[in-house]
Amino acid sequence: MASSLAKPFRRGTSPRVALLPAGGFYALVFALPVVALLVLSFWTANGFKLIPGFTLDNYVKILTSPLYRALMLRTIGVAFATTAIVVPVAFALAYCMRFVFERRGQMILQIILLSLFSGYLVRIYAWRTILGKQGLLNSTLQWLGLIDQPLEFLIYSNTAVVITLSGLLLPLAVLPLYSAMLNVPRDFLEAARDLGAGKAYCLRTVLVPMVMPGLRTAFAFAFLLSAGDFVTPSLVGGTQSLLIGNVIADQFRGIGSNWPLGAAMAFVVVAVMLCSFLAVVALIGRATRW
Amino acid sequence: MVRWNRVLPAGFVTLVVLYLYAPIAVIVIFSFTTSPRLSMPIEGFTLDWYVSALSNPLIATALRNSLVLAATSAVLSGVMGVAFSFGLVAVRRAWLRSTLLAGSLLPAIVPLLVIGIALAVLFRAVGMPQGLLNAAIGHMIVSLPFVVLTMNARLESFDFSTLEAARDLGASAWQAFRDITFPLIRPSVIGAMLLAAALSLDEFVVTWFNIGNQQSVPVLVWGLMRRGVDPSINAIATILLALLVCLVVASNRLGRRNGAS
Repeated sequence: MASSLAKPFRRGTSPRVALLPAGGFYALVFALPVVALLVLSFWTANGFKLIPGFTLDNYVKILTSPLYRALMLRTIGVAFATTAIVVPVAFALAYCMRFVFERRGQMILQIILLSLFSGYLVRIYAWRTILGKQGLLNSTLQWLGLIDQPLEFLIYSNTAVVITLSGLLLPLAVLPLYSAMLNVPRDFLEAARDLGAGKAYCLRTVLVPMVMPGLRTAFAFAFLLSAGDFVTPSLVGGTQSLLIGNVIADQFRGIGSNWPLGAAMAFVVVAVMLCSFLAVVALIGRATRW
Repeated sequence: MVRWNRVLPAGFVTLVVLYLYAPIAVIVIFSFTTSPRLSMPIEGFTLDWYVSALSNPLIATALRNSLVLAATSAVLSGVMGVAFSFGLVAVRRAWLRSTLLAGSLLPAIVPLLVIGIALAVLFRAVGMPQGLLNAAIGHMIVSLPFVVLTMNARLESFDFSTLEAARDLGASAWQAFRDITFPLIRPSVIGAMLLAAALSLDEFVVTWFNIGNQQSVPVLVWGLMRRGVDPSINAIATILLALLVCLVVASNRLGRRNGAS
């Protein structure tokens, strides 16, 4: 495939020069800023003034402060809870689309993906109006006479953050799982069943190992992106459910901001999330081998 | 006889779609209702919130800035992304090609918060004051992976033999591109650009850290949301939603028409 694609290009200037503009842009606007952020995380700040240097103070401060540790743990907890909802639901959805609805699966995928482009802030705000104390859900339940007092746990809580994040990230998790399942022939599952494998055994030893790359991508989307979101906790989470993302954002755009400390926090979060992610993927891999 | 093996999955899919679309429906419906609070029962319908939204002095600026950002991002990340995809199919070593593709998609899985603050740090280091230009550059890096992804999918199924025939008949590389390749892939290119425009129009996080005290529609909406319940938010959100849906549906149609040819 590759050689036949490349053939018409063999004469004259190599079309590979077309890689350069975007390549340069990636280097300058993506790679370089990340390096700059890393360098900054070893600096210190005095007010808005940045003091160059090399110190681990920021990292020590983050790792030893009980406040940051609590925020970090809550962030991991919320990210895991969100992933625990998003990935199984996305898996079941992709399964239905691929093996039950087959040809109409593509159409369902389009409908699900369209919701991704329906306003990021708008959807978060919408959940606040739905879950609020005098919001749609509570007022409807009261109007119907099902409850006397509004359910207060619905809003400004970790529950609200998880419900909202799950809605935001579900479409992203369906996409890789569905494309992975498209590569699984129906015969494989039927053969396994014919040979006497039970449904659960078939799932664990045939389907899950075969869609593992898609499962990993879905997991990465749900887990890493929910850990980095600060808009959801600040709109639907209360003061008791702020996440580490809020603190990072405040270090860059807030009163008493501290850019180097924020930069260090970003790297700690990314490192912790990446390690948790790899650990879970390894566990799933081990549990589903035959 | 009810066929449960189809009814249950259908019910499940419907529930999930409802979960995804309920928030959007709520915003659209309550942008037209008289009660300023979002609660049941609905008393009556009005266009007042649209009037008050459009009379917000900042909305015109915000809308203009958002459109400028979307257009810039569509054209520049469109051109760069399409060129990149063409370069990519010409890379002969498979491992190098897949590494380059994976690398170009990386910004899509890095949390936007990290991209936003990293860019802010870079701009501060080179002494570029925050503003629209910074936000535009941010939007381009956010859109670029999606342009590359769309175009790469298209070019993988592109029949390069027509191009080869043209070259054998004496067309220069540029002539072949202008007269054959580009007309064939034009719908996909426009589709990818519209997608980039939609992503830019909806972008908040990277914008927030780089736009300074300028406005864009999401930045304005964020400000209103932080201040409390204001029904004109629903109206602005519905306008934004309408724009986004138009862009994405157009992008999708163009992409599909091209895929069939």
